[in-house]
Amino acid sequence: MLREPAERVSPRARWMWTLGAVIRSLVLGGLVGAWVVAGDGPVAVLIVVLVVLVGYVIVMPQWRFRVHRWEATQTAVYTQTGWWAREQRIAPMSRIQTVDYVEGPVARLFGLASVTVTTASAAGALAIEGLDKDRARVLTDELTTRADSVAGDAT
Amino acid sequence: MTDVLPTGQEDWQRLDRRMLLVHPIKEVGRFFPALIGVFIAGSQTGGDGPWFEIVGVALPIAYGVLRFYTTRYRIADGRIELRRGLLTKHVLSTQLDRVRTVDLTSSPIHRILGLTTVRIGTGTASTKGEDQLDLDSLPTAGAQQLRYQLLHAAGTSGERADASAPLVARTVVRFDPSWLRFAPLTSAGLVSFAAIAGVTSQILNGVGFFDQGHDIPGLKAALWLTVTVGIVLGLASVSALAIVGYLLTNWDFSLTHTSTDGSWHLRRGLLTTRETSMDDGRVRGVAVGEPLGLRLGRGARLSAIVTGLDKKQQGTTLLVPPAPRQVVDRVAAEVIGTTTPLEAVLTSHGPAAIRRRWIRALALPLLLLVGIGALIVFDDASAWWLLLPLLGVAVGAGLAVDRARSLGHALVDGWLVVRSGSLVRRRELLQTDGVIGWNLRSTYFQRRVGLTTLVATTAGGSQSYAALDVPEARAIEVARLAQPQLIEQFLG
Repeated sequence: MLREPAERVSPRARWMWTLGAVIRSLVLGGLVGAWVVAGDGPVAVLIVVLVVLVGYVIVMPQWRFRVHRWEATQTAVYTQTGWWAREQRIAPMSRIQTVDYVEGPVARLFGLASVTVTTASAAGALAIEGLDKDRARVLTDELTTRADSVAGDAT
Repeated sequence: MTDVLPTGQEDWQRLDRRMLLVHPIKEVGRFFPALIGVFIAGSQTGGDGPWFEIVGVALPIAYGVLRFYTTRYRIADGRIELRRGLLTKHVLSTQLDRVRTVDLTSSPIHRILGLTTVRIGTGTASTKGEDQLDLDSLPTAGAQQLRYQLLHAAGTSGERADASAPLVARTVVRFDPSWLRFAPLTSAGLVSFAAIAGVTSQILNGVGFFDQGHDIPGLKAALWLTVTVGIVLGLASVSALAIVGYLLTNWDFSLTHTSTDGSWHLRRGLLTTRETSMDDGRVRGVAVGEPLGLRLGRGARLSAIVTGLDKKQQGTTLLVPPAPRQVVDRVAAEVIGTTTPLEAVLTSHGPAAIRRRWIRALALPLLLLVGIGALIVFDDASAWWLLLPLLGVAVGAGLAVDRARSLGHALVDGWLVVRSGSLVRRRELLQTDGVIGWNLRSTYFQRRVGLTTLVATTAGGSQSYAALDVPEARAIEVARLAQPQLIEQFLG
């Protein structure tokens, strides 16, 4: 059996995901609410939507935090992401093409950053979201040097 | 690598002079809508003389001529460079060993003048037209020579560097007129059938064919006759169209292999001829397309998985157009150099995967059945409406059976084979050396029944090849057997 990657992301990532979920829920809930109020839609729909959205805001970040893990060895990068649908990705160090360090606007609020590792395949990018900023910087440097030290044109 | 190129290539070269004829005609064609406007405007203002018209025609022609004089290319220092543009200068430059494919296309105009457009495929991710390395156009002989040089330089192994070796071309497969029978069976043909069926039922509905009541015997019979004749005519014309389309693109099709520079050359086309060449060393596998229609006619099509070329350029990697299965299998074996993965018995994905095929195919029609059933019971709808979901259930069941049967994978001799789908069933054979990563995807439902989707990512073709709904332990086993050093460190 494949074991889970060794390291967790920063616990603050939960708050980042919560904020994202709240924003999305407000937009969606607002749209449904406006429709119900203005267009005489059934109130039951609004209630169901609100219950689902509240559940989403509470459950998704916790669930995500339990799933999201990553690991970088000398020869490979291994990530696990998602919540309802889970995805494990493994890419050999020798096939890594670029290492991206990104601080998104929401991530920055929580002092977080993400590291994305791309390979020559459009389907093979590995993203580690919600890392502590400093940890992400160190990881980016490590991965860049390790990927550089392996020969080959990565295809 | 540059020393294999003949000398005298270092200078900037122009395209063929005959393009002075082609470019202006093309530009006038492109400006045609604007030209019409100009002519109308000119005729309305009147009195001013024909200035509008002259300018309107002269501008595109001047543009075409300028295009010729501003475009130059050269091969130097192991790079091919293309310079073009009058106001905005573009210099495109790429290393010769990055060349993946070379495409020669000749439209009818080009063919009359003995010209060919050369498109050099470097596997760039850019989709902007201006980033394409197109040489439009060169004399046909010159284009073929250039292609040879380019692919030669792109060859990765040293033994290919012998430029003086003659081109030994071996024809692997050639067009056979009997292949035309597959034309109506391709997806395009089947979609047309469906469209005709849809339109027919619409018209029939419009004239009240399905209505009960006004039952005049003679009228009904006449209608039936009309419908039958109409459907037969429709099918005949769609088949004819499909055959014409197939002929236009695949006439004179041939696939040859030159062992001296290790590359594949594909040639086809009735009016516009197209020649594609790809480097042997870039081929990571093949994909056998077996859509339902073709399968019923015992046919298939074949394309190559070439690194550096993605899905949008799939057309350039076609190896065999719809043709008999045996032909496709034989060519596939030649291209990948082994028959083992083609003959491999695929491992089924087990009962849980089959159950998922059934649930996914039947969920929607069954839901519809319940809904319409409720409408009939409580809302007094016509019982005839039940036909719709029942038809859906029947079609869904057929799909489920076929999809379950298609599902399979195998790992033999360093080749990963995956197969799935029904209407567009595909069997993909991928060299495990070409796999540059593994993804395991599973939703909550999949995890509950112990299934996962194993995805092998690669730098060519559709970028990822998935074995759908594999039992999780087996999926990990496949990845481990394919690339032990990579996977074993994460087993626990």
